[in-house]
Amino acid sequence: MADEIDRTELPQATVVRRKRTRVSIVWIIPILAAVVAIGIVVQRVLSEGPTIYIIFKSAQGIEAGKTFIKYKDVNIGLVTAVELSENYGRVVVKAKVAKHAGGLMVADAKFWIVEPRISLSGVSGLNTLLSGNYIGFQAGTSTESQRSYIGLDVPPAVTDEKGRKFLLKAPTLGSLGVGSPIYYRQLAVGRVTGFNLAPDGKSVEVGVFVESPYDRYVTSETRFWNASGVEVTLGADGFDVKTESLAALIAGGVAFDVPEFRPPGGDVPADTAFTLYRTQTVAMKQPDPLERRFVLYFDEPVRGLSVGAPVTLLGLTVGEVTEVGLSVNPRTETYRSRVVITFRPQAVFARLDKADPAKATLEARNRNLKLQVEQRGLRAQLQTGSLLTGELYVAFNYVPNAPKVKLDLGKDPLELPVAPGGFATIEAKLASILTKVDNMPLDAIGVDVRTAVETLTTTLKDADTLIRRVDVQWVPEGAKTLEALHQAITDADRVLVNADTTFFAKDSPAPQDLRDTLQEVTRAARAVRILVDYLERHPEMLIRGKPEGSK
Amino acid sequence: MTRGTVTAAQAGLVSCEACQLLSRPANADEPGFCRRCGEELEFRRHAAIEKTWALIVAAAICYIPANALPVLNTTSLGETEADTILGGVAFLYTSGSWPLALIVLVASVMIPLGKLVALSYLLITVQRGSVANSHDRTRLYRMVEFIGRWSMLDVFVDTFTVALVQLSPLMSVAPGTGVLFFAAVVVLTMLAAETFDPRLIWDATNPHRNRHG
Repeated sequence: MADEIDRTELPQATVVRRKRTRVSIVWIIPILAAVVAIGIVVQRVLSEGPTIYIIFKSAQGIEAGKTFIKYKDVNIGLVTAVELSENYGRVVVKAKVAKHAGGLMVADAKFWIVEPRISLSGVSGLNTLLSGNYIGFQAGTSTESQRSYIGLDVPPAVTDEKGRKFLLKAPTLGSLGVGSPIYYRQLAVGRVTGFNLAPDGKSVEVGVFVESPYDRYVTSETRFWNASGVEVTLGADGFDVKTESLAALIAGGVAFDVPEFRPPGGDVPADTAFTLYRTQTVAMKQPDPLERRFVLYFDEPVRGLSVGAPVTLLGLTVGEVTEVGLSVNPRTETYRSRVVITFRPQAVFARLDKADPAKATLEARNRNLKLQVEQRGLRAQLQTGSLLTGELYVAFNYVPNAPKVKLDLGKDPLELPVAPGGFATIEAKLASILTKVDNMPLDAIGVDVRTAVETLTTTLKDADTLIRRVDVQWVPEGAKTLEALHQAITDADRVLVNADTTFFAKDSPAPQDLRDTLQEVTRAARAVRILVDYLERHPEMLIRGKPEGSK
Repeated sequence: MTRGTVTAAQAGLVSCEACQLLSRPANADEPGFCRRCGEELEFRRHAAIEKTWALIVAAAICYIPANALPVLNTTSLGETEADTILGGVAFLYTSGSWPLALIVLVASVMIPLGKLVALSYLLITVQRGSVANSHDRTRLYRMVEFIGRWSMLDVFVDTFTVALVQLSPLMSVAPGTGVLFFAAVVVLTMLAAETFDPRLIWDATNPHRNRHG
């Protein structure tokens, strides 16, 4: 090409003067890259928090690089390694804590493994089902920084909320569990934080936490009771269902309140011990200054009489049965039931116009009791509270014609006289009626009647014979006499007819009464049979009554 | 091209890099601009070695965070998981699919590193005026240049994954910082390969007219 084209004809390039820098501007790129990279490294290093070590019993669901430490649902750290401890007995979890949370790693901070817990008290840690377990964290109050911790086996029930802890002593735990709610007027105000057996193993100590501000309602007069589940009482009182909430129904719970009859009470410090009553009724039971125990001996069976059954006075509840047992009647050497009742008449007697009975001396009260029992016939009776369940209760009533008794005031508890009552009375009455009917000399009555009729017939026949003889022998004696006689006979006949009517006519009163009586008895017997038959077929009639339209 | 062939530079001519028009330079130091297309004329690409070095250094710097930082943040059911390239390789290997692990390792770790090493080697040999293996070195350069356009596959996969897997709240994927650095590595090595003037490989064979630098 160079041979054919004149070099001078090739275009001459133009010249533009330009400054040349010694170092190419392209070095900005690596410098920029270095700055950015170093910046990121610096940021990483600066944002790096402390590394901590937590010792757990087992590393359930903890994975290095995946398990977070969470505080208030915020990730404050990440597990970087999970290793066995030196003696292989424990697990050491190494975790890197975020820079901003580094200050939280103090001496009394707590760590635990959060895993899904599905208990009756509810489902907790459900999010861990999806995200995997994580390590829960609770901040401490110490200022001393720490880097190695011993993890808790169970999550602390109380986190950093404000409130107070209390201790409840109960004979049994019931259905309480960690996290079971605490109720105050059916408001969930806290929860069970833990429980453990008392050192002597005879009771259970339940730790509860009551949130602020509700903790101020826990006073020296407060009573706690187990509000677990439903309290269904099927007693002589009838049906009684009590529950705090649906949660308590399933999970159990504890409720507290101050009884109305008590003063509000003073403030109590945290960790005060309280008694955990079995039920609300027990917890809120008002102590009665007139409270005393009596013993009753019943010869009739006490099946259906349970401890706690009410004791009534003229229908008003004045106490309860506290003991049902057996004893030997020293007189007949037979067994009999021994029932101890607790008499709390305060609530009923307080409404009397008289002076406060609480102020009366024991002597005065005993005198009154003696009067009521010995003179007025106050007797204890077993009554049926519910036909359905056969629950019995003890009723004090005035029994007319009750056999006289002497009240022995020396005994303790005092023995009060009893009278058969309830079914026992009805049974006795029925039996007596039946016995009377049974004893009626129905056969003898029948024979007597027949004899009477036969005698009458004979008499009539004799009269007839006499008349005939008179007719034959005395005809000539005069028609007058005959006529008179005829008249007499006619009269006699009428008398006889009358007698006949009197005795044998359908509406004659004597046999009629008898017949009526017999019919009544038959009818009664039939009615009883029908009732029994019907009861056999429809026992529910006792509750629902006879259905309409049926016989 | 064999040893002893006259190059345009040796003949005092300059070829336009854009339109390939052969021009007479304005003067030896500043060849000027192309008459036809206005492109700046250069006997050899201006400061090619220095620029290439700069880009390679930048790429090398970026290579470290590209591998150290996560490229993908997978949030699956509330749990966020950050994956680095090497972490992915390790995961694939430990989960038994070592062929896949090998592919990822080669494509995402070895190739960028290889490109950096290859370009550095080319630059060093050129600077030292090495005359050996010129053919092989040219082939190496072609390979580096060829591979460059495929090196963004990782970034593509990453962005596709991020765009497609948005099953919030069940699962979502976000790009990590590492992928930016990885892309920077790829771009910078491509630019470095582009900046490097393969003609320099051959200039050493004609030592009396060496115009590089």
